[in-house]
Amino acid sequence: MQFKELPSVKEQIMKCVRCGKCRSVCPVFAEIRNETAAPRGHVFMVEMLRDSKVEASQLLYDRLSNCLMCETCSANCPSGIEVHKLNAAARSYIYKYYPNSTKDMIFDTMWTNPGLMQKTIMMMRGAQKTGMQFLARSIGFTKYLPGDMSKAERILTDIPSRSARHLLAEGYRSIGERKYTVGYFLGCATNLLNPQVAVAAVDVLIRNGCDVIIPSDNKCCGLPHLANGKMDTAQELAIHNVKTFNNYQFDYIITDCASCSSALDPKSMQFLLGGTKDEDDAQKFAGKIMDLNRFLIEILDIKLPANENASPIKITYHDPCHLANAQGIKAAPRELLKRIPGVELVEMKDANRCCGGSGTYSVTHYDLSMQILDHKMHNAMETGASKIATCCPSCMMQLRHGIKRENWNAEVVHPVELICESYKGL
Amino acid sequence: MDKITIQKELTDMLGKDALLSEELDLMYYSYDSSFFTKLQPASPYAVVFPKSTEDVQKIMQFAYQNDVNVIPRGAGTAETGGSIALEGGIVMDLSKWDEILEVDAKNMQTIIRPGVVHAKLNEELAKFNLFFPPDPGSSQMCTVGGMVANNASGLRAVKYGTTEQYVLGLEVVMPNGDIIITGGMKSRAIKNVSGLNLTKLMVGSEGILGVITRIRLRCFPKPRARGIAMAVYDKLDDAPATVLDVYQAGILPSGIEILDNSAIKAVNEFKPHINLPDAEAILLFEVDGNPAGVEFDGNLIKELAGKRARSVEWSTDQQRMTALWEGRAVTATAAARVRKDGTRVFAGEDISIPISRVTEVLRRIKELGAKYNIPIVNYGHIGDGNVHSAPVINPEIPEEVERALKLIDEIHLLAIELEGTTTGEHGVGAVRRRYASLEHGTALDYMRKTKEAFDPKGIMNPGKLI
Ligand SMILES: Cc1cc2nc3c(=O)[nH]c(=O)nc-3n(C[C@H](O)[C@H](O)[C@H](O)COP(=O)(O)OP(=O)(O)OC[C@H]3O[C@@H](n4cnc5c(N)ncnc54)[C@H](O)[C@@H]3O)c2cc1C
Ligand code: SF4
Ligand code: SF4
Repeated sequence: MQFKELPSVKEQIMKCVRCGKCRSVCPVFAEIRNETAAPRGHVFMVEMLRDSKVEASQLLYDRLSNCLMCETCSANCPSGIEVHKLNAAARSYIYKYYPNSTKDMIFDTMWTNPGLMQKTIMMMRGAQKTGMQFLARSIGFTKYLPGDMSKAERILTDIPSRSARHLLAEGYRSIGERKYTVGYFLGCATNLLNPQVAVAAVDVLIRNGCDVIIPSDNKCCGLPHLANGKMDTAQELAIHNVKTFNNYQFDYIITDCASCSSALDPKSMQFLLGGTKDEDDAQKFAGKIMDLNRFLIEILDIKLPANENASPIKITYHDPCHLANAQGIKAAPRELLKRIPGVELVEMKDANRCCGGSGTYSVTHYDLSMQILDHKMHNAMETGASKIATCCPSCMMQLRHGIKRENWNAEVVHPVELICESYKGL
Repeated sequence: MDKITIQKELTDMLGKDALLSEELDLMYYSYDSSFFTKLQPASPYAVVFPKSTEDVQKIMQFAYQNDVNVIPRGAGTAETGGSIALEGGIVMDLSKWDEILEVDAKNMQTIIRPGVVHAKLNEELAKFNLFFPPDPGSSQMCTVGGMVANNASGLRAVKYGTTEQYVLGLEVVMPNGDIIITGGMKSRAIKNVSGLNLTKLMVGSEGILGVITRIRLRCFPKPRARGIAMAVYDKLDDAPATVLDVYQAGILPSGIEILDNSAIKAVNEFKPHINLPDAEAILLFEVDGNPAGVEFDGNLIKELAGKRARSVEWSTDQQRMTALWEGRAVTATAAARVRKDGTRVFAGEDISIPISRVTEVLRRIKELGAKYNIPIVNYGHIGDGNVHSAPVINPEIPEEVERALKLIDEIHLLAIELEGTTTGEHGVGAVRRRYASLEHGTALDYMRKTKEAFDPKGIMNPGKLI
């Protein structure tokens, strides 16, 4: 669908009264502090673009891209504007005028093909292990990425040797009586960078009465594509995933990744496929999507057996933007943590403030992303916790990088990893 | 001097990081919160970000020598077009310059730079058990510099008044680059009648007399207790009557706010957890002070409001009070939610009329809405007669915009007719300047002469206020 015809572009722009409420909450604005980085500035420019009062230019693309897609603005906009979506749609519109072959290669060829993606990541792992970082450059990242690639490379640390796809089978039967059949949406980053999270999730699900199927051909959720001006590719990926999962009779489709669940929920599917012939199928699929934490608390209401010998541990929780802002899920992960024997949950200041990772932002805007991360690390360290729990692979990567930068003796985990451990500890 | 030369000179003077000059970037400074700039955005020649009085002085000297307009800007949340370069010029964005230089707790004052955001100032003052009472709905985003320039107030003006009452002194860079300090060069006194009161002249001058670069503010001790009574009405007319009943009983609440039926709907849409009752109107009375006094006033308000209201809820629960007050604070923007294919516009939104005529004005505004076939959300500071009307239109339909502009004009004229004014707190800027002569008569000539004495070349924020 044409940018100018998108329902959100048609209906929402006019609602912006430029009150500036979004200025006060945007983490990027807090660093840059001028109107070019204000969410209302983005809305204004999308309007100018729609009305052909500005041209689609590289400079405009750069201004719009200086946004984490964290949705803090949208969650706080009294007028109900989904600023991030307007922004994403405009980026894709402009991108068509300024295509970039390296970027096309990364997002259209590699990131739509799980096998190729896996190979590339493993090559990068090899480069990491041997110190041959030139490999990362040789696949073309440096040409497309602004800023200092050698800095950004540091974020991608410790790529595991085996992906979740290698570690997990395609299907598992529940232990004990089956309550639900769930499809597991295995996101790219969990698969390749945090396979232990997927392994733990499957373990916890089957212990709690779920048959789990992990369809072998699910593809990326499309969020990185949206953030990088590739809405068409995001739409193609969505259609593929909808078809794949609708082939099964799932009660729920669960994902451990905050970004995936937000990119696949009914609102996002409406944005991508609303008004197309795939709309109904997409809504059928999206209606079953649920974040893992919510599922464990609200649907399964899991109980962990008491364990008097559990060692006490202080944990702080970081709200991923795509869980807290995009889906309003704040209580479930905290509740999960509280149910784990021995855990003391210590809230950090501004727990729901973005960590600056946000998928590819930390790579494309490394320095700014680090400024945003510094606030987060300061608040996290103040709690005296020894672990930061969070539910988004991008946040996990960013926080791990923060811990390294701060030389802090702490670990980053997904709540489900601790749940799994606590079962095994008995 | 042409635009390119201005940009070049400023870059040489300040360095390229303290300035925006790309055509695209300048467009981001073509609007504030006004409907007016939505219709007629205007880009400046350059945007500068000074971070010292010397920077401001250099810019003003340059502008004065070369006859270039300068337009100070805080957060750009005014609904008046006040910070827009309507006749070209340099926009001076002061919102980055936000140091709290000192909290002098013993003397109950604070000294700050103009870019400090209102809510941030109160967060800092709270550490000293102090607060700066004016309380605009835009607290989270507006700068105190902008508040001083607009003499802003807000939800608690009934008891605590406007910004003006708290400004003890200012540092101002004049159009020719002179730096003056008002309220006494060395003074930390709270009372001061020495000299002509330039502080009062500067407060509310909307950037047409000089650039405010430092602010000395009086603070108050934080009250020990607070409570909110919510009275729910089936008839809109009954609400203003209760306000008079409360005053006549000798109670001065810290805030009295009204939300009409559509404002209630808008708040519930945005924040369902606040769950305001469906009614023709609700009144929120906030009382503060010592715990016994708050309880006494709360009970009396409950009794008085109960005579006309369908129900009254009295709460001292922190969570509930925060929710109710937040609900009122977000009404301004949430009003956009009452119509799917429309939005509220900030125009004709700030009339202020005598308290005794609030019922009449609400009725007349309703009639005007019907005449122009435009829904209007009404809310505001009923305790001091400051009514915020929000016309809800589709701004993309030119015919509807035309109708709205006529409606807005009639609302402003109605305020003057009812012995009120076109603006109670938001200011005049470019949008209400056309009523200046009607409102001030010969006094307007003296205002213009004053401006000329300060700014003989007319380079300070031209086209605004007078
Ligand atoms: C949702 C919403 C709710 C609001 N609620 C209220 C309310 O309850 N009460 C109220 O009074 N107002 C309210 N306002 C209006 C507005 O927020 C206030 O007028 C505020 O004080 C403007 O501050 P600003 O920093 O945004 O100033 P700007 O809009 O940037 O500027 C306002 C004027 O001040 C001048 N100026 C700014 N800084 C300086 C300086 N340092 N030196 C000289 N001149 C300067 C500008 O030239 C301009 O004329 C509201 C606005 C919105 C959008
Ligand atoms: S909060 Fe919403 S309405 Fe207000 S300026 Fe931002 S996007 Fe516009
Ligand atoms: S999505 Fe986040 S970073 Fe982007 S404009 Fe909104 S608040 Fe700012």
